[in-house]
Amino acid sequence: MTASPAPKAILEVRDLVIKFSLRGRLLSAVRGASLSLSEGETLAIVGESGSGKSVLTKSFIGMLDQNGRVDAGNILFEGADLATFRREEDWLPIRGKKIAMVFQDPMTSLNPLLTVGRQIREVIELHRGLVGKKAEIATVEMLDRVGIIDPEARADQYPHEYSGGMRQRAVIAMAMACRPRVLICDEPTTALDVTIQAQILGLIKALQRDFGFTTIYITHDLGVVANVADKVAVMYAGKIVEIGTTEDIFYDARHPYTWALLSSLPQLGVKGRPLYSISGTPPNLFKEIKGDAFAPRNPRALKIDFEREPPMFEVSPTHRAATWLLDPRAPRVDPPESIRAMRESLRGEII
Amino acid sequence: MFGYAVKRLLQSLFTLFIVVSLVFLLMRLLPVEGYFGDRFQKMSVGEVQASLRKMGLLDPWYLQLGRFYAGVARGDLGVSFIYRRDVPITKIIAPRIPYSAGFGLVAIAIAMTAGLAMGVGMARNKGKLQDRAGTVYIVFVNAVPLAVYLLFVQLYGSSLLHLPILFDKYNIASWILPAVSMSLNGIAFYAMWIRRYMVDELNKDYIKLARAKGLPNRTVMVRHVMRNAYVPMAQYLPAAILATIGGSIYIESLYSIPGMGGLLVDVIQRQDNAMVQALVLIFSSVGIVGLFLGDLLMALLDPRIKLAKGGGAR
Ligand SMILES: Nc1ncnc2c1ncn2[C@@H]1O[C@H](COP(=O)(O)OP(=O)(O)OP(=O)(O)O)[C@@H](O)[C@H]1O
Ligand SMILES: [Mg+2]
Repeated sequence: MTASPAPKAILEVRDLVIKFSLRGRLLSAVRGASLSLSEGETLAIVGESGSGKSVLTKSFIGMLDQNGRVDAGNILFEGADLATFRREEDWLPIRGKKIAMVFQDPMTSLNPLLTVGRQIREVIELHRGLVGKKAEIATVEMLDRVGIIDPEARADQYPHEYSGGMRQRAVIAMAMACRPRVLICDEPTTALDVTIQAQILGLIKALQRDFGFTTIYITHDLGVVANVADKVAVMYAGKIVEIGTTEDIFYDARHPYTWALLSSLPQLGVKGRPLYSISGTPPNLFKEIKGDAFAPRNPRALKIDFEREPPMFEVSPTHRAATWLLDPRAPRVDPPESIRAMRESLRGEII
Repeated sequence: MFGYAVKRLLQSLFTLFIVVSLVFLLMRLLPVEGYFGDRFQKMSVGEVQASLRKMGLLDPWYLQLGRFYAGVARGDLGVSFIYRRDVPITKIIAPRIPYSAGFGLVAIAIAMTAGLAMGVGMARNKGKLQDRAGTVYIVFVNAVPLAVYLLFVQLYGSSLLHLPILFDKYNIASWILPAVSMSLNGIAFYAMWIRRYMVDELNKDYIKLARAKGLPNRTVMVRHVMRNAYVPMAQYLPAAILATIGGSIYIESLYSIPGMGGLLVDVIQRQDNAMVQALVLIFSSVGIVGLFLGDLLMALLDPRIKLAKGGGAR
């Protein structure tokens, strides 16, 4: 899959810093993340737990927890800088209308006391200004559109009468009901079984084809990434350490953290060998981080990695990575053997 | 839904039967003086026995119980032994019902509106001043004995606010202190639980999703959070009714209200067993009806209960 050559940026994040205050201390969950998304593109954000994926994307719709705030940087969307939004009213024309979000667990994402139809209709009433019969028709249409059979009867049912996969479809119907420009899916299929996962991903893809929105996936599943993403951003300790097309990341990763992440993939593990896991723990986000945040866990770290923070180096026009290895003065460090072996086995297989 | 209601109704009647029978039988174990009051001193053993036989109290317990229920079925609760000798109990109680029911309903209404408003406010300002102040009130009401803080209310209500200290049905100002007293406990109760349920709701995924959909804060609060938090509150309706009954027993005598609660204290002290029995029957009925209504309300409000107990999903 290649990145569509639509150059028009729809969402641009520049040096975003997000901090939380926790019992009088400040935690930096996002420490200067930058990325740019074109219309219709699909981005996957990967990275281990706590790297800031959810926090980053929540800031796009102003849904940071009470104790968090955007400390610096910009989120440019349709001529506005979302990073400057402070009041609830600022967000109303954006949240759920232009940028929609689907969460991980469909079993708990729907209000158990309201019918599914009612919960979709409230979005339609709010954002599309439809009322009464018209809103009802649009609701049923939306349920039909996401593949719910017998949508008219289903609209009057409560969430507990839906299966997990159907609930996730309903949640997607809600998100799509107002034709958003950007859809954020935070681990949309983690809670579902594999066949349903594939169906849901297929559904989102089909909707994307029809409506032409931009999708951001947050996922731990590199299989999902390979299947749906045009672009991949690798996050570590609140930073995007590498970003590129899916091919760039799978075939030509440059950051040691990306190597480690790829090596730990169960799908790509070599049969008979124990699964690789990244040793050590992520850095303490309460403290100032010096140099490359991944250096302490990186067996191939250079001296400078502990001292100065690497800037983003350009590998190709589509591919950038923040590692001193890309500095012209750096010694030649090859990716670990497992990565090279993986690249061989990957050729023509997943992508 | 209808089947569920009938089933719960039968269960309620059964519970009532057990409670009333138990009280009836326990009363039979009490010393027989209770049936005669002051006269007992002057009576010979023979006279006592003759009297007891005449009242049917020497019959086997199941016959007595059967007679009692037969009477209840006819709307006859028997006659008072001591309090007002040989007067039908229904006649004694009837004029008192409006006072107890009136104060009870008003107290529950005050408790619900004030308690829910207070709890909602506390949840929305969790951790802030309003929440802390509310918590202090709740802890106070629960920790300090009822008799103590109700005396305070009477004392300061009359000295600082110049409200009448005793009930007088022709003076509306004298209704205030007892009504407020009866609702204090309920306010704390409702506030505590609605706060808890709202805080629970606020952390639910579907509330996050409702926000992510772009719904304004107020809509999320009213349509999702508050509505969902009220549903489990229905189960506390009976407990609140029972607590109000409990409070009224004391408060009615404190303010000399001619209701049933004050009467119960009176007849227990005077050992008028027949009266105690009749009043217990009435109070338990009210409590059990409350339980029944609470359950029914829950089923009406929560679609999941309807399905689990009633029809079944298609
Ligand atoms: N409300 C908050 N208060 C304090 N810290 C927070 C808060 N929300 C998130 N964090 C911290 O921000 C960091 C990033 O969290 P985030 O949820 O974005 O991780 P993630 O990459 O989505 O992880 P996962 O894959 O487990 O979902 C974590 O260290 C987390 O503890
Ligand atoms: Mg997350």
